[in-house]
Amino acid sequence: MRLRGDGLAVLPALAFVGLFALLPVALLFVVALANIGGAPGLVSVLSNPLNRAAIQNSLVQGGLSAVVAVAIGYPVGLFFGRYDWPGRAALRSFLLVPFLLPSLVVVFGILDVFGPSGLLTSANPAFGWLGSGLPAIVAANLVFNTPIVVLFTATGAEVASADLEETVAVLGGSPARAYLDSWGPPTWVGAAVGGLITFLFSGLSFAPPLLLCGPRCYTIEVQVWSLYQQLFQPNAAAVLALVMVLLFLGPTALYLLLLGRLRALPGGRARRIPLREGGAAGLALAALSVAVLAAEFGLLGSVLYRSLAPTTGGAVGGAWTALFSSTTTERLGISAVGLIENSLLFAAAASAIAILLGVTLGYAVVRRPGRARSVGLLLFLPLLISPVLLAFSLAELWRPLFGGAPNVWLLMVVSQATLAVPFALQSLEIPLAGLSPAAREAAESLGARPFGAFLDADLPRVRSGLASAGLFAFALGLGEFTATYFLWIPRFTTLPVALVLLSQDRLVAAENAAVALLLLLSLAVFAALQFGGRRVEL
Amino acid sequence: MSSSRPLLSVEGLSAAWDRTPVLRSISLDLNEREFLVLLGPNGSGKTTLLRCLAGLERTSAGRIRLDGADVTDLPAYRRGFGLMSQEPALFPHRTVYENIAYAPLLKRRPRSEVEEDVGHLIELVHLGGLEDRYPQTISGGERQRVALARALAARPKVVLLDEPFAAIDVEVKAGLHAEFREVLRLAGTAAIHVTHDREEGLFLGDRVGLLFDGALEAIDRPLDLYQHPRSVRAATFLGYNILEGPSGPVALGPGDLTFGPPGTTGLPATVVSAGTTGRETLLVLRTDDGRRVEVRLPLGGQWPPGTRGVLGWDPATVRPLPREPAPTGATSPKSSGRLENP
Repeated sequence: MRLRGDGLAVLPALAFVGLFALLPVALLFVVALANIGGAPGLVSVLSNPLNRAAIQNSLVQGGLSAVVAVAIGYPVGLFFGRYDWPGRAALRSFLLVPFLLPSLVVVFGILDVFGPSGLLTSANPAFGWLGSGLPAIVAANLVFNTPIVVLFTATGAEVASADLEETVAVLGGSPARAYLDSWGPPTWVGAAVGGLITFLFSGLSFAPPLLLCGPRCYTIEVQVWSLYQQLFQPNAAAVLALVMVLLFLGPTALYLLLLGRLRALPGGRARRIPLREGGAAGLALAALSVAVLAAEFGLLGSVLYRSLAPTTGGAVGGAWTALFSSTTTERLGISAVGLIENSLLFAAAASAIAILLGVTLGYAVVRRPGRARSVGLLLFLPLLISPVLLAFSLAELWRPLFGGAPNVWLLMVVSQATLAVPFALQSLEIPLAGLSPAAREAAESLGARPFGAFLDADLPRVRSGLASAGLFAFALGLGEFTATYFLWIPRFTTLPVALVLLSQDRLVAAENAAVALLLLLSLAVFAALQFGGRRVEL
Repeated sequence: MSSSRPLLSVEGLSAAWDRTPVLRSISLDLNEREFLVLLGPNGSGKTTLLRCLAGLERTSAGRIRLDGADVTDLPAYRRGFGLMSQEPALFPHRTVYENIAYAPLLKRRPRSEVEEDVGHLIELVHLGGLEDRYPQTISGGERQRVALARALAARPKVVLLDEPFAAIDVEVKAGLHAEFREVLRLAGTAAIHVTHDREEGLFLGDRVGLLFDGALEAIDRPLDLYQHPRSVRAATFLGYNILEGPSGPVALGPGDLTFGPPGTTGLPATVVSAGTTGRETLLVLRTDDGRRVEVRLPLGGQWPPGTRGVLGWDPATVRPLPREPAPTGATSPKSSGRLENP
């Protein structure tokens, strides 16, 4: 069978996902199951108390975080989706910031505020309970995930049919009935999508349990890392990783199903109530939203404050001096400038891969829209693979083939790109689906070849989506810690990895500046993303 | 209810969006079983008026009385209107039957009574056999029938129809007009129907109102309204040609004009384009003073563009119109090409 040109366009993505995600993971599992020693070996892994505790921790931390995130995020999402107030659109876009933040910024932010010498704990020791253990982990998970629940809930409210809501009212249904029968269900789908992704992210989280609690709170993700990197039991680590995939397969499938359903809602005229007409309910939701946003951004503010506050025995801004000092360079084996260069370079490479895949897949989808579903599924497959599992499998299969440590940076880039692609290319999905073929057909009728017509007529119309995809991948790559920490060697230290090394050595001043630097870089990417987003002309 | 009191009475209703008036002191009455049509161009406030009546938009002044009760300040769900718009807004997760039964069940009417009512309505709107289908699986016309049945099942005092056929195919639309009118007559429900389609409006309405810029300019029986336009704007909307007469503007219907050879008495004009509607020949002419005029003639004849001729008319068909106040700084109409009796 001969593949047509537009069929070939799927190959780069297929090859990328196949070679750098599915194949290594499949081989890892096959080899581990072959070497684990049959059923007794499996039983041994599964009955290990630490492994069982990790499974329990994943479910508890994921479940608790999801429930609390939905409890807080749902009403705030209603406030964003149902009410109209000055600055709503700008603030709504800011909700994306925590999602793009490196996990370590939030973890260190929690420590800055609630840790033993945190800002609030210093003022009142009662706040200390949020600085470590399960409460601290859940708090960190909430910082990331509550805004996601808010965004999905708001999306549900925004796509709810105003016509249907008005119909219920005209037919005699009370506002409560209108909520139940017309605009409520899409918000439930949105909240469920947000809750499920919170469960997935939190159940598979790495940095919060590792840095805020320790072994008693390890999730499966951290336990797999520990089995491989600390206990040198690769087969046991792989089997536990397989358990993790199986355990999270159902929620991931449900997440994708509900996400598809949310996106399939027709949308149209949205009903938004001016806040001044919102009554007591509107004001209560407003107050809750202000509190949540204040907590979110207060945490980030504390990170910046810590980097500027006078260091012990030092001056204002001493943290930044410490970061760029020779002491820090000696400890890390690389200068702060080198850290920044590595981080930016790897993130840029991951971003380039995402854009390349976006262009080729865009062409494939535009040429044959019926492919959109299978292409979407292909891109979502890496979601089933956690960062540790990805890095683990890449290290096992590709590190020897890539020539070992000197070229491990390639694997770091590949892992960052693989983890970012499912989220980054979502920016392209809707613009591509909305493209009218008229301009492309006109270009072809004027003599352009199919790919030329795509470049001339289609790509310019989705360029902002493509730019967003690239920036999204860049932001996620910049802050990626888990897979990078797994693969890292000193020469290729990135800012997030350096942050943990500085923390381990208690170089607090340099650590404070490194967290702030990571935050500022992420905010800069976010600002670029917003700028890119505003240029959307579809 | 006393027979002299209108079913619906609207007095001085006004509404504004961000201080821009969209409805200006509208007053109208609707009698029991009456089918009132409100005609107007896009942006004239038709939809807003219906939404204000239904309680879906805020009003800035005026009162709405339905069956003697002041409903102006009641929320939509307590008013007792039915509303159907271009978008049928059916519940996608409910069957045809469940959509229609929605309001009666909401009002906790006995299930046997609901079944009887819904069965009757399904028969009335010719939806037999589709009861268990979902909205996505039926045609646009059928969806509108479901929407009408659902609105009627709530037993509204007045049904408000907001261009419900605008998105329906022309062939289906023609049949649905008459069918809906008949269903409403059989159900004994009064209705206000708004549309920008003058033929549709004049055909359907017991009375027809003309709405321009948020104000109700006229309301009358269809033939009276058509034969006695009260302004240049109304005459233009109703399809008349506007010419300048000796004492002001006049309206002449396209069918009231003739187009004869040069040299006869009348107004000289030139053919811009000519074509057939299938039943008659339609000429688009331009008078020497630059006015566009449409003439409908019996089928036949050759009218190449550029053909010169003279417009003629029966003086009895000339409808004088009031001269509209000239905008500040406007010049007086040109004297050349004024209409003189042929």
